[in-house]
Amino acid sequence: MPTNIPKYLPAEYSLRGHTSIVASSGGKETPQLAAALAEAGANVFAVGRHQDAVDAIRSAVSATTGLATPGYAGRWDSPDGASDVLASFASSYPRVDILVNDTRSFFAKPAAEISMEEWDELNSRNVRATFMLNQAIGRQMLAQRYGRIVNVISNLAERAVINCSAYSATQAAVLSLTRSFAVEWGRSEIRVNAVGSGWSTADDIPLDTQREELLVRYTPMRRKGHPRDLAAMLVYLCSPHCDYPSGQPVYIDGGSNAHP
Amino acid sequence: MLENLYLDGKVVVITGGGTGLGLEMVRALTRSGANLAIAGRRAGPIETARDEVIAAGQDAIAVPTDVSKSSDADALIQATMDHFGRVDVLINNAAMVAENVLKPIWEISDDDWDTAMSVNLSGAFYCARAAAKTMADAGKGKIINVASGFGLRGGRDIYMYCTSKGGVIQLTRVLSFSLARYGITANSIVPGFIPTIDPSADINRTLPQSGDFLPTGKLGKPEDLGPIAVFLSSDASDYMTGEMFILDGAGLASGIAPTGHAPVAGLEP
Repeated sequence: MPTNIPKYLPAEYSLRGHTSIVASSGGKETPQLAAALAEAGANVFAVGRHQDAVDAIRSAVSATTGLATPGYAGRWDSPDGASDVLASFASSYPRVDILVNDTRSFFAKPAAEISMEEWDELNSRNVRATFMLNQAIGRQMLAQRYGRIVNVISNLAERAVINCSAYSATQAAVLSLTRSFAVEWGRSEIRVNAVGSGWSTADDIPLDTQREELLVRYTPMRRKGHPRDLAAMLVYLCSPHCDYPSGQPVYIDGGSNAHP
Repeated sequence: MLENLYLDGKVVVITGGGTGLGLEMVRALTRSGANLAIAGRRAGPIETARDEVIAAGQDAIAVPTDVSKSSDADALIQATMDHFGRVDVLINNAAMVAENVLKPIWEISDDDWDTAMSVNLSGAFYCARAAAKTMADAGKGKIINVASGFGLRGGRDIYMYCTSKGGVIQLTRVLSFSLARYGITANSIVPGFIPTIDPSADINRTLPQSGDFLPTGKLGKPEDLGPIAVFLSSDASDYMTGEMFILDGAGLASGIAPTGHAPVAGLEP
């Protein structure tokens, strides 16, 4: 085992020498997920709809590695946008091994009141942008015959909650794309999986405060999820040793998905 | 953020730990610093596995166990408590694969059914029952059940294996919901086709002999279970419960089909 892998990290979780593109819609979870990839040894290229989202990833990664982190800010839910991301990436790194796509904009509103503008914008950010980025990076992975893609989703891909019709539909769509890419690109050594979170926060909120929320009290583990709950699984799904798992969601949601 | 993957002396009880998938999980857990209570029906393989763990610098015991007898399951947990003083993780991995699967339903005897169900499903229940109280008293514990893709899909004439493994996935969900309040998590590992069994066993005639029919083009290897066994045994998985980790070459994401693709068709006008 190379000495630069920390003792606590199983060799199968090492991402040393691998380069990732981490895409964020601006949520506070993504920077911590990117930091986990960096801790496992991956290079990170940050992508975000806004400069703030990119900067948050860069500073979280730099705090872990001490190195500057390149990035791209701008929308990529069009073919031009996705190729701009890749052109920018190519000026920093020669090859992409990993895509972590955490581009979920949350949205909650009664179904009867959702406007078509809201529906289209949400679908463009959550579904169209996911397709574009998976497709653009997938093409490179097909050419090099290797890749690991993880789409970060919500457990609302599996069930309904009041006011989340549009958001849940986008999450189910991303899960479906995850299965399809896994099946279509499997022979090219590309693995595509999803990590699903539940009711979560990127802040460290005291348990008593969390439990004032009804949804926390209905979560079997009786607390919100945190990006650190996804970190190790995400790293594994990005690793070259994650060879047999593909096309599946892994829900880490405090037991909500198995709850009646 | 990833330090909590290290098992640092956690005590893991694993059934069916002397061979196949179980042995590879034992090896990965050992590398991550676990101590092990290794159970299996036959003494030989589990004693060899125990010696391997001890030679690698961790502590281990071998406990001959027939999980289909609840008294054996109770004795396994007691032997672990006697030696280590705690049970942090239980991995229910023991299963009967080589059932007489190629019979039509009307030729399956009561004994065929009962034997397979008692090893694959009752065995997991007995071990979980024996370990859960100890874990609840400690305020923390992890139960990991090894199920199968056949627990989610039906196989022709594979009545007992499919039914018992489907039961294991449901057992996991009930354990997770019931034991969450005691700090105990329960999850299933759901492997697809991973050759480990005697190639001459009857069941092989209904299983793929290569990965040609899987989207990834290859079958799994027993070593593929190691990293996920470590994750689910570690504090890194504390917020995951009631869930499945599926590793199956994208078989369940699609289906086993000889062509695997739809003909290209343009968008309707």
